[in-house]
Amino acid sequence: MPSRRRALLKVIILGDSGYVNKKFSNQYKATIGADFLTKEVQFEDRLFTLQIWDTAGQERFQSLGVAFYRGADCCVLVYDVNVMKSFDNLNNWREEFLIQASPSDPENFPFVVIGNKIDVDGGNSRVVSEKKARAWCASKGNIPYFETSAKEGTNVEDAFQVIAKNALKSGEEEEIYLPDTVDVASSSQQRSTGCEC
Amino acid sequence: MMISNGIEDEEKWLAEGIAGIQHNAFYLHRALDANNLREALKFSAQLLSELRTSRLSPHKYYELYMRAFDELRRLEMFFKDEDRHGCSVVDLYELVQHAGNILPRLYLLCTVGSVYIKSKEAPAKDVLKDLVEMCRAVQHPIRGLFLRSYLAQVSRDKLPDIGSEYEGEGDTVMDAVEFVLQNFTEMNKLWVRMQHQGPLREKEKLEKERNELRDLVGKNLHVLSQIEGVDLEIYRDTVLPRVLEQIVNCKDELAQYYLMDCIIQVFPDEYHLQTLEILLGACPQLQPTVDLKTVLSQLMERLSNYASSSPELLPEFLQVEAFSKLSNAIGKVIEAQADMPIVGAITLYVSLLTFTLRVHPDRLDYVDQVLGACVKKLSGKPKLEDSKATKQVVALLSAPLDKYDDIVTALTLSNYPRVMDHLDAGTNKVMAMVIIRSIMKNKTCVSTSDKVEVLFELIKGLIKDLEGISTDELDEEDFNEEQNSVACLMHMLYNDDPEEMLQIICTVWKHIKAGGPKRLPFTVPPLVFSALKLVRRLQGQDGDVAGEEVPATPKKIFQLLNQIIEALSVVPSPELALRLYLQCAEAANDCDLEPVAYEFFTQAFVLYEEEVADSKAQVTAIHLIIGTLQRMNVFGVENRDTLTHKATGYSAKLLKKPDQCRAVYACSHLFWVDDQDGIKDGERVLLCLKRSLRIANAAQQMANVTRGSSGPLTLFVEILNKYLYFFEKGNPQITSSVIQGLIELIKTEMQSDSTTANHASDAFFTSTLRYIQFQKQKGGAMGEKYDPIKL
Ligand SMILES: Nc1nc2c(ncn2[C@@H]2O[C@H](COP(=O)(O)OP(=O)(O)O)[C@@H](O)[C@H]2O)c(=O)[nH]1
Ligand SMILES: [Mg+2]
Repeated sequence: MPSRRRALLKVIILGDSGYVNKKFSNQYKATIGADFLTKEVQFEDRLFTLQIWDTAGQERFQSLGVAFYRGADCCVLVYDVNVMKSFDNLNNWREEFLIQASPSDPENFPFVVIGNKIDVDGGNSRVVSEKKARAWCASKGNIPYFETSAKEGTNVEDAFQVIAKNALKSGEEEEIYLPDTVDVASSSQQRSTGCEC
Repeated sequence: MMISNGIEDEEKWLAEGIAGIQHNAFYLHRALDANNLREALKFSAQLLSELRTSRLSPHKYYELYMRAFDELRRLEMFFKDEDRHGCSVVDLYELVQHAGNILPRLYLLCTVGSVYIKSKEAPAKDVLKDLVEMCRAVQHPIRGLFLRSYLAQVSRDKLPDIGSEYEGEGDTVMDAVEFVLQNFTEMNKLWVRMQHQGPLREKEKLEKERNELRDLVGKNLHVLSQIEGVDLEIYRDTVLPRVLEQIVNCKDELAQYYLMDCIIQVFPDEYHLQTLEILLGACPQLQPTVDLKTVLSQLMERLSNYASSSPELLPEFLQVEAFSKLSNAIGKVIEAQADMPIVGAITLYVSLLTFTLRVHPDRLDYVDQVLGACVKKLSGKPKLEDSKATKQVVALLSAPLDKYDDIVTALTLSNYPRVMDHLDAGTNKVMAMVIIRSIMKNKTCVSTSDKVEVLFELIKGLIKDLEGISTDELDEEDFNEEQNSVACLMHMLYNDDPEEMLQIICTVWKHIKAGGPKRLPFTVPPLVFSALKLVRRLQGQDGDVAGEEVPATPKKIFQLLNQIIEALSVVPSPELALRLYLQCAEAANDCDLEPVAYEFFTQAFVLYEEEVADSKAQVTAIHLIIGTLQRMNVFGVENRDTLTHKATGYSAKLLKKPDQCRAVYACSHLFWVDDQDGIKDGERVLLCLKRSLRIANAAQQMANVTRGSSGPLTLFVEILNKYLYFFEKGNPQITSSVIQGLIELIKTEMQSDSTTANHASDAFFTSTLRYIQFQKQKGGAMGEKYDPIKL
């Protein structure tokens, strides 16, 4: 029944993100903890539900760690084309993700890289060139690359199409689980301690 | 051991929990694939039972929770599809309530609830209200917090917000707000209560765990900020007061600090600006240990970023009186938190100042006000010793300099020097260097003596010994760097008006003369040159204008210069003083002030005779004297004779023969100045040259005695070149036959001493002869003059 299972795709957004919100807001409103949203995308005549996990950019609002990486079908690395450091951080984000999410085939795990905020100052304050970004993506196994402006809505939908496509192609399979013949249900009942709830 | 066991145990419990979830998930998937609702409910409830554990730390519990969360997403997809299970969502909502344990039951209820809202078969607000009430049943903090955070997560996109598809009739935004506020309040209570659980000895561990859970609570504020319908009015009248009420009343330091931080970060700047009074009003009511300086600094930083994002915002800041509100609040917080260390208070003022400089750069009165508040806080206390606190004061004092690129503006702030007075001597110097660097970097011209007065008062730590530190204790390199900076600074003090400029010089002198023997050699020369520059500007003006009133005259400046340089001879630094006297003499010459120039020479000679003892220093000094004297044209015959006589006398008395010889032939120039009406005393030139020849001979003989061979003939060749110079200049005393004689002399000497061939002097001689040959061949008047000389 893989077709039904694949209807739900889990996507993690890392880095300088801030554009999965339904409506773009110019004013900064920090994300706290992992922000979970769903987005329906149409792809090859089928409807998919993207389960999108946006992360808090400010580290102090990520107090519980990154357990939500697990089971991801695609990871989107976002940087701000106007801030060199956000680009330099991509490598860390990628490595950290591979360690924490430990996908079964890290070499071929689907990433997508997005250079965001291309609208700022009419592109004049840009410090990371498209060429440089594309070169990095190529060196990491041809990661698809997009340049977007969440503010102007440029390219955002295209990016999500590719995100869905790659998540779908992702080789990520369920962890193979075969139950013991013993019924652990009753023992697990005993393990719970304390109150009735 | 204890700890490692604890961690191992936890790993084991987590592994067991995961195994339990995986096991049940396996059967759950089978049930979902078979569209078997009953089995699906059974296994999902069993799966969720794993979340009933009390043995995991928040991090580990979160891992378990996430696994359950992922499974619930599939279940939710299944619930949504009525065709697959044949049960209406209303019935489902009833059905899941039969699950045995409360916790699994509520997770299932929330999951169905989310589908229920999506189906729109009941108003979102009713379902949400029901769910948030039901969750009260779980009072265990970690379990309760995660359950409620699950509720927050699944309801996040189903709130009856305006513009949302779940928007109902009437004022439904308020329902959304009420729902989130209620969940927030309950979560905060669970979170705060957690600290009272468990034995006292585990307090530290408990605090750490509580801290890890904070984002679950803060998340609600993020959700509130994302509700479209929360406009400024709702925020100001409902959201903010209710959130603050909960924060103040919980009386918990951790919660208060964290939630204030959240409010500032999640809500937009515009709201903060319009509700400053409410937000700031809560601050003094918080626990006295809450780190409000960080909270307020962050608020001010946000607001200043906001202000600088668009110039159109400034009127809003003025209209809401942002500065005075912040300033008041800071005052109240400092008052309320009596135990706040001084560094905390100053950090707050630094933030306020940064805010002021960014938002109201034109309001110097605000800036001074902040500094004044800081002085008030510092006064009556001993000088700061806490290094963190002094660092903050340096930051405070540096901020205006960075902003205005112009110390002059800072100099007008009356409280600026008062803050500096509270610094210890070391920090005072650090600050003084900051000030000087700022002036140099921005090439700021300090143009009045009043400002110079204030400036030197500010940097007095570099100018003289302050109590507590004497110059002996200082690192020499640092000291030199500091004093060089002061020296550079003097070039930045300038006014076009000679009167004011003289005032500036006098002011500087007043300050630096107390600098002591180590500083004066650094500080006097630039001041002297600054004064001489002024003299040059006034040059041509008559120095002898009658009456006392006439202010800046060269004569007056020379008097001052005399005093200034004299201070150096006390240091003692005679060589430097001598140079400066000669500089002054030359300037006086150009001003046509013979007595003044003569006086400076006299001073230089006195120093030479009495203070310059080192033979090398003497050689340098004598050449300086000769050079300067040669350029003087102000002297009458008598004065000039006296001075040249002395100079030649000193020359002949130098310690080493070669030095004597060179100084004496240099003196020949004192009698032959190439200018139109310069002195041209050929006879005395010849006397000098002859004398130097005699000395060269004597040097040669001495070398013979000591080394058994005559030394190099360099000196003779040098003298020969002097002869050629005066020969060409038409000195009648220097004839071709005199030159011929000298050439022959050198040639014989060379042949007589072939053993010690000296390449340098040989080459020198050869090229001199080649020069003569060249002049001969050139023809014309010069060729004719050279013709009699035979090589
Ligand atoms: N000009 C511009 N601003 C953007 C764009 N995308 C996001 N932003 C701004 O960047 C900020 C997003 O912050 P975010 O990354 O969500 O912060 P975090 O939640 O703390 O990680 C918001 O203030 C957005 O207005 C864009 O494409 N153009
Ligand atoms: Mg964000």
